[in-house]
Amino acid sequence: MQYIFLVSLVLLTGCSDALVRVMPYEKEYFAQDKMSLSPLAERAEQESHIFLIREASAGGDSSFQGGCGCR
Amino acid sequence: MKKIITMVLLTLSLSAEVTKGDNAVAFKLQTLDATTSYSMDDFKGEVVLVNLWASWCGGCKKEMPEFFTLQQEYKSGFKIVTVSIDKSSSSSQEFLESVEKELGYKRPFIALYDPSKSMPKAYGAKGMPSSYLIDKQGVVRDVIVGSLSHDDIAKLKIKIDKLK
Repeated sequence: MQYIFLVSLVLLTGCSDALVRVMPYEKEYFAQDKMSLSPLAERAEQESHIFLIREASAGGDSSFQGGCGCR
Repeated sequence: MKKIITMVLLTLSLSAEVTKGDNAVAFKLQTLDATTSYSMDDFKGEVVLVNLWASWCGGCKKEMPEFFTLQQEYKSGFKIVTVSIDKSSSSSQEFLESVEKELGYKRPFIALYDPSKSMPKAYGAKGMPSSYLIDKQGVVRDVIVGSLSHDDIAKLKIKIDKLK
């Protein structure tokens, strides 16, 4: 029984991986500009500027800064 | 113990990828202009660099000029075979022509087209671009994931010279 459970678990994990994971060579549509969260570089910069003013948290938009937990 | 072995074997079978020491994947593909077809057997006795790329992949486009100059340096014994997995071969052609225009000479390597993406699937490519250095016996000697810089090419040349 345990054996069947283990094998089923491994096989099901494999199935879910195949369904969810997009392989690197299948990312043609993800690479398109329209798939970017901020397709326009100028606009993204402006939005970032407004966000920082609104949040009063300059430097907080990067994962390399902070650590204070103040956001 | 038997259970653990079974689990490991099953997991490995689900994530098959070509690594160093494996045999190169056999293929039969047409060139981008569909005039000639090549198979892996055509390169027996030569060191081959198989490069999987696409025109939508930024890293692939970045390293492509390096392949032009690399192939120019090796007149015999080493072949670069680029395999495009683009949706249409014309986008790959257009990009290669733009590089040709920029560098001022025709591409010196073989450019194949794989619309079914059979090559990256068979190689289990972990990223784009992916390159595979294959020796004269058809054994994969190096797997390079990601784009090659000018310095990487210099290191690659040392490996090619050793295999030649």
